[in-house]
Amino acid sequence: MKTRSIIFLAVIILISLISNASAQITWKQHEVVDNLPLQLFHSPQSINLPTVETLQQGDFEFEISHRFLPPIKNGTKDFYGFDGPVNMRIALGYAVTNDLVVTLGRSNVEDNLELKGKYRALQLKETFLPLLVGVQIGIARNTQTFGQTANAGRTYQYFGQLIFNTMIYKTFGIGIVPSYLYNSNIYVNEVQNSFTLGMNFQYYVSKMVSVLAEFNPTVNGYVNRFDSAAFGVELETGGHFFKIILTNNAKLNSTQFLSGADKTIGGGEWRLGFNITRLLKF
Amino acid sequence: MKTVVIVYMLLAVTFITQGTELHVKQGAKNQVVFVSDAPFGKFEGTTNNIDGYLYWENNILTANSSLYFEVDLNTLDTGIGLRNRHMRENYLQTDKYRFASFKGKITNVTAVSQGSFKVDVDGAMTIHGVTQSIKITGTLAKTDESSYNLKSDFTVKLSSYNIEIPSIMMVKLSEVIELHLNFNLQEVIKPEGKK
Repeated sequence: MKTRSIIFLAVIILISLISNASAQITWKQHEVVDNLPLQLFHSPQSINLPTVETLQQGDFEFEISHRFLPPIKNGTKDFYGFDGPVNMRIALGYAVTNDLVVTLGRSNVEDNLELKGKYRALQLKETFLPLLVGVQIGIARNTQTFGQTANAGRTYQYFGQLIFNTMIYKTFGIGIVPSYLYNSNIYVNEVQNSFTLGMNFQYYVSKMVSVLAEFNPTVNGYVNRFDSAAFGVELETGGHFFKIILTNNAKLNSTQFLSGADKTIGGGEWRLGFNITRLLKF
Repeated sequence: MKTVVIVYMLLAVTFITQGTELHVKQGAKNQVVFVSDAPFGKFEGTTNNIDGYLYWENNILTANSSLYFEVDLNTLDTGIGLRNRHMRENYLQTDKYRFASFKGKITNVTAVSQGSFKVDVDGAMTIHGVTQSIKITGTLAKTDESSYNLKSDFTVKLSSYNIEIPSIMMVKLSEVIELHLNFNLQEVIKPEGKK
């Protein structure tokens, strides 16, 4: 009798345990996977050099940039450069995919029209420093030349750039941009090429403000007098980038910028300029 | 001895429950939308990345009910990549607080029509690492034998979750964000333990 009761009791406890198990929730959180692409610099470009940043597929980016030619040291005489003349560039970029941006830009200098494509090629997230690698290639045509170019075909210029970006503590971005330019000077008889080693640095001070600098020394080949340097401030608003800069190189389109500066870095002839970019979505 | 047996039998009977567990049915039809309605314009962010469960017993929605839903904030899309990044990195800080979640229970049910119920839910919302108790009302509708649809609209105040109010060109966005949820749930058929 006693044994039977114990067995009966045990069975009942077992049943109660099994049925109670149904109150256990079986839902489990999915394994959390990293689903974001690596993003380092905020803006798709530094001052003149590109970063690996692209746009979201389908986004457009409109750019308008100016470089005021009179140096700021002329002071109020040229109103720090605002009296002009001015070099300007307007451009429109389009993100074909999340990794590929195609940009058409025009500068009033020699009416240079450029078409370039930038591809975000590689990201390394789990390394000591995050690394992004991109490549940019482009073609430009100088549609209004002064005097004679060597021949008609020489109004075309081509360039290619590798872009390496990294960032320290999510606030200090470093870019290395080796660049190759074919036909650096359209006016000389012999075709000139340039190889430059661009570098850009940007420190993000707050959500909105960062300071940036870039340097583009010509390592090999033709240089239009001097290496280029520029520094300035960037303001961002979640759709706009607004850069106010000082530079010794007043050229804006890629092939013209890459061929070098007309003023020395040490000569104190800094020119004021700005870049404004605006993201557009249609 | 007999009394003990009877007590256990009674206990066992109370333990023999029929639990109903629904899981979020993943798919593009699920929609979590937030709307920021500011003076100069309205913008919204969308994701279909919601997961979680809803549980009740003995066909009574309020009986031992529990529910948990979470939204992957990394997947919120406002339509503009740069704005998404701003939202993630500057305001929601999704590297630290990846999910917005809600845990609670159904406290009251009102039948609206055949297979459709207005449910009052009491629980805790966690966004940006901050948990606040909140009462939400939703509509649970049976769409077929084992599927349900859940809709809910409510608002959250950004400051309650220590989220800085975003500003664009110095103009602050709305402090109160509307949330619109509409997603599907599928009943889980348990292999055992279910009566």
